[in-house]
Amino acid sequence: MRYDVYSPLVLSLLLSAVGPVLARRAAPAVAARVLASAAVLTAAATAWSLLLLAAALIGDTPPVIRAAREHGRPLTDPVPGVIGLAAGLALVVVALRIHRAVRAQRSTRRALRRLTAGQPAGTELIVAASEVPRALAIPGRPGRILVTSAMLSALDPAERRVLLAHERAHLAHGHGALVTAVTLAAAADPLLGPVRSAVVFLVERWADERAAAVVGDRRVTARALARAALCASRARTPCALHFTDRAVTRRIAALRTSPPPSRWPAALAVLALGTLPALLAADATGDLLHLLPGLCG
Amino acid sequence: MAGTGSRGRAERRSAGELESEVLAALWATERPLTPAEIQHEIGGGLAYNTVHTILKRLYDKGLVLRDADGRRGAYRPAKNAAELTAQAMHEALDRGPDPIAALQQFVTGLSAEEERALRELLAGDGARGA
Repeated sequence: MRYDVYSPLVLSLLLSAVGPVLARRAAPAVAARVLASAAVLTAAATAWSLLLLAAALIGDTPPVIRAAREHGRPLTDPVPGVIGLAAGLALVVVALRIHRAVRAQRSTRRALRRLTAGQPAGTELIVAASEVPRALAIPGRPGRILVTSAMLSALDPAERRVLLAHERAHLAHGHGALVTAVTLAAAADPLLGPVRSAVVFLVERWADERAAAVVGDRRVTARALARAALCASRARTPCALHFTDRAVTRRIAALRTSPPPSRWPAALAVLALGTLPALLAADATGDLLHLLPGLCG
Repeated sequence: MAGTGSRGRAERRSAGELESEVLAALWATERPLTPAEIQHEIGGGLAYNTVHTILKRLYDKGLVLRDADGRRGAYRPAKNAAELTAQAMHEALDRGPDPIAALQQFVTGLSAEEERALRELLAGDGARGA
């Protein structure tokens, strides 16, 4: 218990360090799935560990100590009261962050449902007559692709096929759900922030690779990205320009080389790293139950 | 130049996907297009009849209009619905930083230096492709 219960925190940091490395080396389809799964498992284990640490406070309460004495088992408390208290506070913060993230996701989904509600049935592409170049996938059953007229007129026919294939890949491979899962994981465990960023980037790369495969031309795919990015940056207000993470440039550079190998061994190692906190948390749970004889008989 | 590598790929595109491509082509051009022009625009060995069928389907859905005063048989996209969609989109996406976080955007911001690099890339690519 003494070490197990703290391990998810350490492993979160480790995953955040290793995640971006895997993201750079492995095929995006593999890396995105592995990192998202590992992040969800780690976040769940971290929250559970906080719960255990906070629950250990119960072990400090007089009734439990008395009960333990009566059972002839004097308690040696492995979790100092201060840490239990801190864990309790952290748990409240985690709950608030998850609540906020869920609410943001819900409001987004509602807004998008309103957008798609008025469209004729069986239509994949929704065009918005807007001067702001924009393209995005709207998950759902069926998923839709929303593109503005400004974005469509910026691209040539082959580039438009890339755009549509890219958004279709998002819908076909459930990228919305993957990003939602990793966003909630990062809300629960802020140490996983870098893993979330990596997954958000990876689903774009994944869709780029699918689009390149569908259109059968990596160069046209790279060109479509460059054209769309330039057109979008021209239309953007100056204040929004601070927000740049070189994502598009990195995606274009990746398309100008050959597709990355899957690297399953490395990916599985990262997945194992993600499972570890859950196992250790389970072990710590056993220890805690053992510590509370007054509660568990 | 573009799209030459994709000839014979049309069979693999579903009816729904072709509908999207035709609609996208109509929105991308300023003027109304005839089925023949659309056929040429999206390429991929698409049969004229197929283009006609797709246009009919888009027309029935109210997504495209027949060009009344222009050339016979030309089509243009229905603007009214798309303007309402644009309004709804801006309301949904521009409210705050949060709602957009969950979406997959095709592209994000660029720095001035990146912009220059991409412009050079496009210029070089165009020269080679021509």
